[in-house]
Amino acid sequence: MLRSVISMGRASMARVQRSIVRSPAVSAAMIGAALLAPVSAWCAEAGGAEAEGGSWLSLLFYIINFALFIWILMRYAAPMARKFFADRAGGIRETFTRAETALKQAQDLANRAAERMSRLGAEKQQLRADLDAETGYIANRIRELAREAADRIVRDTRLTGAAITEAAQRQVRAQLAEATGRLARDLVAQNFSDDDQTRLLRGFEERLAQEARR
Amino acid sequence: MKSSRVAKRYARALLGLSDDRAQLETWGAELERLARVADAPEVARGLASPEVSHEARIAAMAKIAERLESSYPLRSLAVVVARHGRIADLAAVSQSYQDQLDLLLGRARATLTFAREPGAQDTEAVVRGLEAMVRKTVIATVKVDQSLLGGVVAELEGKIYDGSLATRLGEAARRLAG
Repeated sequence: MLRSVISMGRASMARVQRSIVRSPAVSAAMIGAALLAPVSAWCAEAGGAEAEGGSWLSLLFYIINFALFIWILMRYAAPMARKFFADRAGGIRETFTRAETALKQAQDLANRAAERMSRLGAEKQQLRADLDAETGYIANRIRELAREAADRIVRDTRLTGAAITEAAQRQVRAQLAEATGRLARDLVAQNFSDDDQTRLLRGFEERLAQEARR
Repeated sequence: MKSSRVAKRYARALLGLSDDRAQLETWGAELERLARVADAPEVARGLASPEVSHEARIAAMAKIAERLESSYPLRSLAVVVARHGRIADLAAVSQSYQDQLDLLLGRARATLTFAREPGAQDTEAVVRGLEAMVRKTVIATVKVDQSLLGGVVAELEGKIYDGSLATRLGEAARRLAG
C-alpha cells in the first residue's frame, strides 16, 4: 500500500516537471523575471537620479537596450537552454521509466516471491503431512512385524519346549522300559522254573487251539 | 530264480517215477544224504574245480551215490545232475523234493524253538496243536534257544507263532516306553 502511494507521488511530480519544462511561455517568464530583477533595481537607481535630474530618453535607451538584450537571449541562448532542458527532461523521463520498469520488475519479483513463499508453505505442509502419514505407516508396519515376530518366537518356543519335553519324557520312558526289561529278564532267568515253562507251553497250546477253532 | 525252477523240475521228475509213498520217502532221505555230501565244502570244491574233467565229475557223482548205497533212481539222478552241470543245485533239488513230497502227502514241516530242552510230551503237544491248526501232519525240527527265557516259538509254512517269554517282556517294555 505504502509502496503504491509512493509510486503514485513520484508519477505526479514527474508529470508536473514535464509540463513545466515543455511550456516556452513559462520558460520565458522565468528568464525574464531573472533578468528584470536587476533592471528594476537599476530603474530605481535611475529614478533616484531623475529625481535628482533624469530624462525619458535614458529610459527609452534602457528599454531598447533591454529589448535587444532579450532578443539576443531569445535568439541564441533560448534554443540552447531549451535543448538543455529538453535533454534533461528526456534523461529524467528515461530515468523514471527505468525506475518504473525496475520497480515493476521488483514488484513482480516480490509478488512471485510471495506467491512462491505461500506455495512453499503449502508444499511444506503437504510434505509434512506426507511424511507424517509415511512415518505412521512405517511405524504401524514395524509394530505389526514386531508383533508377528514376537508371536512366532513365542509359538516356536512353545513348540520347541513341548518337543523337548516330549523327547525327554520319551527318553526317560525308554530308559525306564529298558531298565525294567533288563531287570525282568534277570529276575525271570533266576527264578524261572520248569512249572513256569510248562504253564507257558500250555498257554501256547491253548492259543494254537483257538487258532484251529477259527 | 532259475536255479529254483531247475530244482523243481528235477524234483518233479523224481517224484513222477513212483506212486509208492514209502518209496518216495526213501528217495527223499537218500536225496538229502546225497545233497549233504555233495554240498560238503571239500567235496563241492573238488567237484567245482576246473582241473576235474566233465567225465571225472560224472564218475565222481556216480561213485558217491554208490558209496551212499543209494537206489538206482538216485544214482541215475546223480549222474544226470552231474552231466548237466547242476551239482551245485542238488541241495535245492532235495529241498524242492521234500516240499513237493510234503504237499503230496499232506504234510508240513515246522521248526520248534524251545527255551529249555523239551520233553517228548511237550513237543508232541505243540505238534498236535500245529496239526490241528493247519490240518496236516506236522514234521517238527526241535531247537533250543535259552535267550527266549521261557516258552516256545514255532515256525510253520512261513508263519511264526511266538509263545516265548522274551517276546512278551519285549512287548511289555515297548508299551512301557510308549
